[in-house]
Amino acid sequence: MATENPHSQQNSNPQISLYYQTRAAHHAVVTSDWLAQAQAAVGRHPEDAVSDNSSAGGEESGNGFSVIDEFNNWRKQPDLAEAVAAIRALASVIRSSQATTMMELEIELKKASDSLKSWDTTSISLTAGCDLFMRYVTRTSALEYEDFNSAKSRLLERAERFGEISYKARKIIAMLSQEFIFDGCTILVHGFSRVVLEVLRTAAQNKKLFRVLCTEGRPDRTGLRLSNELAKLDVPVKLLIDSAVAYSMDEVDMVFVGADGVVESGGIINMMGTYQIALVAKSMNKPVYVAAESYKFARLYPLDQKDMVPALRPIDFGVPIPSKVEVETSARDYTPPQYLTFLFTDLGVLSPSVVSDELIQLYL
Amino acid sequence: MPDYRGLVDEFVAKLNKRKVEGSQATARLTAELLRSVVSLQKLPCKNQASVLIESVRSVGVQLIAANPIELAVGNIVRRVLHIIREEDVSILTSNTGDLNLSTESGDEEIEQDNNPSSFAASIADIYRSSLCAPSLHALLEDAPSTKAPCRIYTSGVDSEEKDDKHSLSRKLKHFVIEAIKTLIGDIDSCHDQIAQEAVEHIHQNEVILTFGRSRTVLKFLRAAKEIKGSFKVFIAEGAPRCQGHVLAKELAGQGLKSTVIGDAAVFAIIARVNLVIVGVHAVMANGGVIAPIGMHMVALAAHKHAIPFVVVAGIHKLCPLYPHNQEVSLNEMRSPSELLEFGKFSNFMDYSTGVGAPPLHVANPTFDYVPPELVSLLITDVYCKEEEILKLENRLWTSNVVKKLVCLTENAYSIHV
Repeated sequence: MATENPHSQQNSNPQISLYYQTRAAHHAVVTSDWLAQAQAAVGRHPEDAVSDNSSAGGEESGNGFSVIDEFNNWRKQPDLAEAVAAIRALASVIRSSQATTMMELEIELKKASDSLKSWDTTSISLTAGCDLFMRYVTRTSALEYEDFNSAKSRLLERAERFGEISYKARKIIAMLSQEFIFDGCTILVHGFSRVVLEVLRTAAQNKKLFRVLCTEGRPDRTGLRLSNELAKLDVPVKLLIDSAVAYSMDEVDMVFVGADGVVESGGIINMMGTYQIALVAKSMNKPVYVAAESYKFARLYPLDQKDMVPALRPIDFGVPIPSKVEVETSARDYTPPQYLTFLFTDLGVLSPSVVSDELIQLYL
Repeated sequence: MPDYRGLVDEFVAKLNKRKVEGSQATARLTAELLRSVVSLQKLPCKNQASVLIESVRSVGVQLIAANPIELAVGNIVRRVLHIIREEDVSILTSNTGDLNLSTESGDEEIEQDNNPSSFAASIADIYRSSLCAPSLHALLEDAPSTKAPCRIYTSGVDSEEKDDKHSLSRKLKHFVIEAIKTLIGDIDSCHDQIAQEAVEHIHQNEVILTFGRSRTVLKFLRAAKEIKGSFKVFIAEGAPRCQGHVLAKELAGQGLKSTVIGDAAVFAIIARVNLVIVGVHAVMANGGVIAPIGMHMVALAAHKHAIPFVVVAGIHKLCPLYPHNQEVSLNEMRSPSELLEFGKFSNFMDYSTGVGAPPLHVANPTFDYVPPELVSLLITDVYCKEEEILKLENRLWTSNVVKKLVCLTENAYSIHV
């Protein structure tokens, strides 16, 4: 199924959010040929791809070079977050750029980042990653007094480091969350999040005794995949259908979710169903913990559920649906900050209001 | 064997027997003890900071184990550890200039490195960044170094001459001791700093409710009285220790209109109250507080009637631990004699009569945990000094301060001593 993932410039199927296509490719049940594909993608050396592209592009200041292709190359790695892929893609824009002044480079980057952002408006971390990088390029005092070439190499170096940070971030988050997982606790998990998996894996490695309840995660059944992974770690796991959350909440000690994006209010945007789980947890006085890397902090301030770019995703009901019946295909919802207890980020354990403080300070 | 052993043992014994009471006194004594530990510790030529850190840490572990519920001890130990690291970094940076000079004179060891001064500077930068709170901004401006900050400390200046080393060791010690002195001064003056805030919170003819006795609250109310004149104070006695009686006496002595009520009367009286001000034992990382027993009830009453529940606490009470941490969930059980006179009930509490455990038990816990939702404001002393009086919503406030505190402590990610 992953092989059908379109890598063309245009989103071939506007009915399905590109973001979720990537997720499906990364997180769906692993088939052997998909694995081979992913291996090939990882094995390919990034430098080659860049030089191929730029040589094909000719002299016209990297016009032939497509940032989106580059991004798609990076995106194929299942362990690489989208934001990091975006930053690496932007870095290769710098590398292949023939600009001679900072201003030129900035404009070029702006164009590239805009095209990346508009290519997939549904991916929040992609947008957030582009914004973060652009902010670094345009607003950093560190670059002001250097000559152009050293500034350029500095930018490249920074982009490289970002990749490492993203990998380290998960480890840090897993470490921070350990003291919150106590022996004998029951954790409810919704959706498949690499960070949450890392958290649970670390806890299992630390010989903690805990039980996990996984929601099914309709329609793409991400919960099945997570329960699969947890079973491999010998963690006791129980699957729930999505509607059994309130029923099981009394045996739950804490709710752990990942996030597609963390927004300025301190709330999160995550897979459909997170909001209702948070509501149930709040009404039963259970803590809701969010694990999210700091590059998912986005400059968005959704006022309600509909105040977002909708990310759509097909839903298979198993039976044909009459054409007169409308289907809600939105893939995610917004959970306001008052329903969250803590966010575990690589910046520390933050309460939602600190997150908004952090974001406001950064873009002030 | 270091000479400070005796001092440490003495203080540990005091903590064990609960001879030291009150977070402020404990914090002060801890800081003083650590000051003598620092001054008595013999320092080798290399790695002074790490030796110092190691000795302070081992003393700290003992102190914390002696009385785990007195969180101020741990807080002060973390502060001192931070002070040592900070001073070490600042010495390292100031040495950068010296290094630069010595390259010109052609020192071999240093010339191995292409650019020693910038190397030292970058190390200093790394340390500095590891000392301050991680933030998105820092992530962008100064991404965490790829090379893990290996523990070099002042050993970076190995090539200095002998007497230089000597002065250096004295320098580090001297700076650290100076900084601890400032810390002790801060602890001493925290009540007055907090009292400065009083004017902003208490107004003419208001009715204030407080619970038990806290020196911080006493100073706070006294300061308010000097400026605002007339307001009324209700004092819940805070059974079983009834420290509220003492506070009532002190306040009445100052000419403040005070009324003593029983703890059970809090709900009955709360509708007449404009503001609840209390002192607490410790403030946790999530903004919840550990307070004398009975406080949760007061907080609930205030919450129910939408009356601001204000907590005053010196910065030494802010603790980077979460209330589910093992050390914190421990409550202290005090002697039952505070509740019951033994003579009257001895028949039911005697193990020698009857079989098995006696039928009558007395539980006398010392602390309550008040969750952060019930705390409307936290006033502490740290920002007044920076002339930056932050009075934001409690959650943001505390977690910001705690974020700062956490970084004041260890490197940002391990908050345990």
